[in-house]
Amino acid sequence: MKRWTTKREHQIYSSKLFQALCRSRRTSSSTSAKELHQTADRVLAITAKGTTRWSRAILAAPLTAGTNMKKHKKAKVTVHTRLRKPVVNREKRKLPVVERKLRALRRLVPGCRKLSCNNLLEETSDYIAALEMQVRAMTAITEFLSRGEAQVPTDRLGSIGNM
Amino acid sequence: MSGRRSRSKQSSVSSITDDQITDLVSKLQHLIPELRRRRFDKVSTSKVLQETCNYIRSLHREVEDLSDRLSQLLASTDSDSDQAAIIRSLLMQ
Repeated sequence: MKRWTTKREHQIYSSKLFQALCRSRRTSSSTSAKELHQTADRVLAITAKGTTRWSRAILAAPLTAGTNMKKHKKAKVTVHTRLRKPVVNREKRKLPVVERKLRALRRLVPGCRKLSCNNLLEETSDYIAALEMQVRAMTAITEFLSRGEAQVPTDRLGSIGNM
Repeated sequence: MSGRRSRSKQSSVSSITDDQITDLVSKLQHLIPELRRRRFDKVSTSKVLQETCNYIRSLHREVEDLSDRLSQLLASTDSDSDQAAIIRSLLMQ
């Protein structure tokens, strides 16, 4: 899988992310880590150009969803599981290990909760490669910002405008 | 789902062929550093899936940590448009 591993994609993602971060810094005084993470994910999904389910799911998700909503959902569910508990336990014993692992995986990859095993594994491969690139890019940006202005090599400025 | 065999230990996932799954699982295996190092052909499907979940979770945590550091760095850096241009050009290298 060549996708997500090319230098060009890395550059595109890094610069888009950096632009997005600069923009958000201008509009609000501080960016929380959570908002930043969300921005990084959305830019990653945009870079995928709508070709994968996980990327479309990220873009379709509401921005900065409050954790309060999640708590409400949990409250509703507990009432039902108390009634269903005996049935669920029996089911778990019957389910093969592989099925259980697949279910866990479905929860980790965005937008893939009801995906068939086949497609799930395809999406997972792509998602992992994308996440790895995200880590590389964000590490690079962090290093640049940590180094600061003093260590920026001036002889490289001549190659601006290659893109 | 039809064909679920609770007795056999190597029970196959019901709706798709075993070959397709083996194929995709071996593809996943190559992506995960933990399993790539071992190079065993006989890593079980459930092990690959387990390691996949673990790996995705660790990647999520890494991005969380990086988001944390980045948000702190951005807060402390002065808003200097020249510096931003320099960094952008470096990212293009």
